[in-house]
Amino acid sequence: MSTTTAHPAPTAGPGPEHPSGTLPVLAVDLVTEPALLDGIGELARGLEQAGIGALTLSDGGLHPLHVASLLAPLTRDIGLLPRTDAVYVEPFHLATQLMSLDHISRGRAGWLLRAETDPAVAAAVGRAVLDLGATAREAADVLTASRLLWDSWAPDAVVRDTERGIYVDASRLQYADFEGETFSVRGPAITPRSPQGLLPVLVADTDREAVGEHAASELADGRVLDLDVSVGARTETAAETVRSATASEGGPALRLVRLVGLDLETDPLGTAGRLAAALREQGLIAPAPTAGHSLRQQLGLPPASFDIDPARRSDRARLTTRAHLTTEDPA
Amino acid sequence: MSTTTAAATRAAAATARGPQAHPIHPDHTPTGQLSFGVFFQGVNSSTIWRLPESGDQVAFESFESLARTAERGTFAAFFLGEGLRLREHRGVPFELDVAGRPDAQTLLAALAAVTERIGLVATQNTTYNDPADLARRLQTLDLISGGRAGWNIVTTDNAWTGENFRRGGYLDHADRYTHAEAFVDIAEQLWRGEQVSHDGDHYGVRAQGDLPRSAQGQPVLFQAGASPAGQDFAARTADVIFSPHGTLEAAIEFRRSIVERTVAAGRDPSAVKILPGAEIVLAPTEREAEEKVRWVRDLQVGPEQAIALLEQYWGRDLSAFDPEGPLPDVPPEVTESGVTRGAGFQFAQAEELTRSWRAEAAEKGQSILEFAREKSGSRRGSFTGSYDAVADRLLEFARLGAIDGLNITPWLIPSGLDDIVDHLIPRLQDRGVYPAEYAGSTLRENLGLPPR
Repeated sequence: MSTTTAHPAPTAGPGPEHPSGTLPVLAVDLVTEPALLDGIGELARGLEQAGIGALTLSDGGLHPLHVASLLAPLTRDIGLLPRTDAVYVEPFHLATQLMSLDHISRGRAGWLLRAETDPAVAAAVGRAVLDLGATAREAADVLTASRLLWDSWAPDAVVRDTERGIYVDASRLQYADFEGETFSVRGPAITPRSPQGLLPVLVADTDREAVGEHAASELADGRVLDLDVSVGARTETAAETVRSATASEGGPALRLVRLVGLDLETDPLGTAGRLAAALREQGLIAPAPTAGHSLRQQLGLPPASFDIDPARRSDRARLTTRAHLTTEDPA
Repeated sequence: MSTTTAAATRAAAATARGPQAHPIHPDHTPTGQLSFGVFFQGVNSSTIWRLPESGDQVAFESFESLARTAERGTFAAFFLGEGLRLREHRGVPFELDVAGRPDAQTLLAALAAVTERIGLVATQNTTYNDPADLARRLQTLDLISGGRAGWNIVTTDNAWTGENFRRGGYLDHADRYTHAEAFVDIAEQLWRGEQVSHDGDHYGVRAQGDLPRSAQGQPVLFQAGASPAGQDFAARTADVIFSPHGTLEAAIEFRRSIVERTVAAGRDPSAVKILPGAEIVLAPTEREAEEKVRWVRDLQVGPEQAIALLEQYWGRDLSAFDPEGPLPDVPPEVTESGVTRGAGFQFAQAEELTRSWRAEAAEKGQSILEFAREKSGSRRGSFTGSYDAVADRLLEFARLGAIDGLNITPWLIPSGLDDIVDHLIPRLQDRGVYPAEYAGSTLRENLGLPPR
């Protein structure tokens, strides 16, 4: 069990956290309108075969997390990133749902974090709409709390030790103990550590302003470039946009290039496949996903180690009361 | 064999009463049919983890495998619990039982992709969810599964659970059903595509339902109403009642009570189905079944769990006591037991309870371990026996209309339904009380519920 920092320092361009030469993954955005359900499995598999590295699910009515989960058993290698709100939600539920998606997809889950600014969404959950500053702070708090929950079980916490009669070793769990501005979360998660440990968290260009600089540039794992293909998808234009985004200095590393507005009526697979091939040929996007690789790997992110914080150990009550009886757990 | 004969005699008597159309209550006509659900627990001691064949409790393959077996057995529903906080014992996460599970709806959304007919039921509480958000999730599940979603409505009120949520422990125990009923009303309005403008004591909701109706109209509502208030709530709102009634007498009594309350609420009693939770232990013969039950109980409750069970009520460290010895002769250190918290644990008056338990165990000559196994076993229902004996008992339940089926907790994952599907279900089908194929494509159709 190694100890590292849970939240890697922000990286500007290639660095130790972003090995130089790692190219952004090409994603297609699907809007979760009820009509999307017709033939959604074929569409997702088709996009996977066309060399698309990830699907992002934007809210069109059906809950994006559920649609991502539905797609997990229908696909094999493609990354699945619901684009969902971090503000008008219960952080404990959201973190659990995302790590469950990671279990179900065997390490292919990510989170396209957005910060809701629509007053109607706030009213639906009985909350007052926040101003931009408070929205950004809330998004950052929910992201931090989510990571603490994702990191609350050691990879080897489920021991199934028949000798000692112990299924889970509490010394390998830790509380989240998160205290934010508007909420707190005790933890630990109700779900064991997911395959990736920490899910990749990215912020789409369209969501940067609302999410705020702190979460988008410092906390998140990277940037997403949005390519609007609703008015046609000329490969030269797309290539130029990706090239200039990759070359731009400063700011978070570009991890994902997202095709938005793909016309699902007329040959979506052809359009996506052509773009993927052209951008790949020019060395602008990552190769098609490798079977068995996690989304973190595809995105060029290092494995997330379990970050132990002795002050948050879940067996602290026992350590306090029996400190004089027991020395240390065998782990 | 005498049990089998007795059961068969009782069943024959029930059959002989066949023309009697209303054996339990004048307003209730038995369908004579049973539906099964499977409840993947994910926590508690009911799931055995000590055997080599005990599978991964989180891997999607375990859920998929169990769901496929259930579908092979024409099960109406696949049922998941909800986790809100990891169970704790004496201030430390409980280490001895299976713990840790995926989010129910996220998992069921994936199961929708790999199953065809089985219903997908998520337990979701009305205290730590927002009505508009939960309604949308459930409606999404219902739409992506082609009308197979169900919602097991539960309430929670303790501040300890609330430590994981924005609102904390805001709800009084007495208010939980009032709150739940308002919550369900809001969800149903949203499912109908209506505009909601609600101002409750604890929250307000301004929302517009904007998703289409599913193939079954709206998710099927499950509720485990055991207390009188809970039964009334279920009679007013639920499609299916899910609560433990192992004996025929208790099931008949419960049916009568629910029919009365359903009629009082102005609903058709046949629109409310009763599927008690149950554990089933089967073997070819009665003798083998008896041995198997003991074996299952031994694996479910080990010496450490037996001590922990007592510590829960004594409120103090009992690790110095021998699990093979008598119950501890020391007084409890709490007035209300609560050192183990979370799903499945009950609160009780400790002093009174521990005294009566000591007396009970002494009278039966039971050790701590034997006592704990009996206590936890008694909570698991009593559908154990030979294939034929259990089929005969269920036939009797069905003919009288005491229940409409069972929600079965397998004690092994993922193979725990195999003998039920291979040996019990064919016998129930031979007896004409269990479907050979699915009645339709929605959960509502497969439970025999009227459209909503």
